Amino acid sequence: MNEREIIINLIKNNISEMQETIDSLYISCNSCTKNMLLNRLRRSVANLSMLVQGFESGQHSAAFNGTENPQQNPAGAFTLAELSKYNGRDGNPAYVAVNGTVYDVTDNAAWGAATHFGLTAGRDLTGEFASCHAGQPVLNRLKVVGKMADERLEL
Amino acid sequence: MSDLNYDCRNIKIKSETASVLVQKAIAAIGKNEIKKGNLIWLELTGCSGNIISLLNGADPDFRNLATQMVNFVYDNSLMAAEGELAMDKLFGAIGSDFILAAEGAVSTKSDGLFNIIGRWRGRPVTALDAVKKLGEKAAHVIAVGTCASSGGISAARPNPSGCAPVQSLLNRKVIKLPGCPCHPDWFLGTLAYTLLFGEPALDGAGRPLMFYSTLIHDICPRRPFFNQGVFASQLGEETCMFKLGCRGPVTRVDCPIRKWNNHVNWPIGANTPCIGCAMFGFPDKMEPFISYDIAR
Ligand code: HEM
Ligand code: SF4
Repeated sequence: MNEREIIINLIKNNISEMQETIDSLYISCNSCTKNMLLNRLRRSVANLSMLVQGFESGQHSAAFNGTENPQQNPAGAFTLAELSKYNGRDGNPAYVAVNGTVYDVTDNAAWGAATHFGLTAGRDLTGEFASCHAGQPVLNRLKVVGKMADERLEL
Repeated sequence: MSDLNYDCRNIKIKSETASVLVQKAIAAIGKNEIKKGNLIWLELTGCSGNIISLLNGADPDFRNLATQMVNFVYDNSLMAAEGELAMDKLFGAIGSDFILAAEGAVSTKSDGLFNIIGRWRGRPVTALDAVKKLGEKAAHVIAVGTCASSGGISAARPNPSGCAPVQSLLNRKVIKLPGCPCHPDWFLGTLAYTLLFGEPALDGAGRPLMFYSTLIHDICPRRPFFNQGVFASQLGEETCMFKLGCRGPVTRVDCPIRKWNNHVNWPIGANTPCIGCAMFGFPDKMEPFISYDIAR
């Protein structure tokens, strides 16, 4: 299978999982279960949007595939310096890193002007996230665009 | 465009909450089912904008409040008495059944000496003294406006006078009505509800759910533009102001329905982004209020 077929397969799996979840939502009357199922739906939506991105060409997916700068950036990993370019200004996308994963907040409503409660995009906000949103289902709504490089290894 | 949701019954009912509650309270007082409340309004460390906003109320208005709902025992801007006489009224209320509305944060540095709200028996009375003495004794405490609720502008960096929210100084529940200023409906509706039925249902942050449950973004008439990705790149464009830094998506309150100045208009309706004035963290954490270098 080529990459395209793999992605299409994954998308199909995702869709059938979403359909199952929706069916379960119809029959469950317990709000706890409902929340759990809704969470699962959100996760599927996040997966789907990531897969759709696999099809998109251009800057983001190049970074994701690691083709933009293969030497410095194996496996699509961002260094802090690279991440800082994605600060949302002058038409650049807005990315933030939490726990080693890089998320796209460019189109997230809560990040108007690429800022959020005094925080700016283009940074690793792991600590801030833990102190503000621990245990909340916030990250699975965001598009994943890559990983953070382990910069200790590059020294 | 701002009338987009006008036919929605749910929204119409919401816009009438305050006026229905106030009419109910006035009717109940008229039939002697409940007693008129005693109201003390403290202007602490702030701009007194909330009492001015209250005077601007329309259906329900200030006259409903002062003549039919409560005995307005004390407010330094509005009462006829002054000096010791006024302070006698204020502290004379201790021991009676009263509701305390406090606007402004509480300056705590140097024992509160940065904000002296009057003199009583020859000694200065600080905002800190007043809120502690009256706050412990009141039947209900309502923090009116963002400064009283969460520190707001008074507590903004670098906060030289050590301003703190009312809740942080009292060992009891405080109902919070953030907003810079607080909408007259939010206060009058909450007060009427409290007189009629006791404390209203509050969210985790102490805000009455009847006014603070929806995100501005969820009921914004410009939401269709957001969904379609049609964004204003400068002030004056009548589309979604997300790229300019709109804080509607993190601010829970009902401005899009209620609107301001006699229910006429509101910031987004006047082409300026929401700056999150009714949200914890305002103003420091809501900055920048406007940003021109984001949109392509
Ligand atoms: C200073 C720390 C932070 C504070 C005080 C904060 C506060 C908030 C609040 C109050 C909301 C929800 C508004 C509401 O629905 O009532 C929110 C939403 C959100 N926050 Fe944060 N946040 C912080 C840090 C972060 C970080 C580091 C991220 C990184 C990804 C983040 C991502 C989000 C997202 C994506 C939403 C929207 C969630 C949704 O769709 O419901 N926040 N934040
Ligand atoms: S971002 Fe602001 S202007 Fe745009 S829909 Fe949301 S609340 Fe309305």
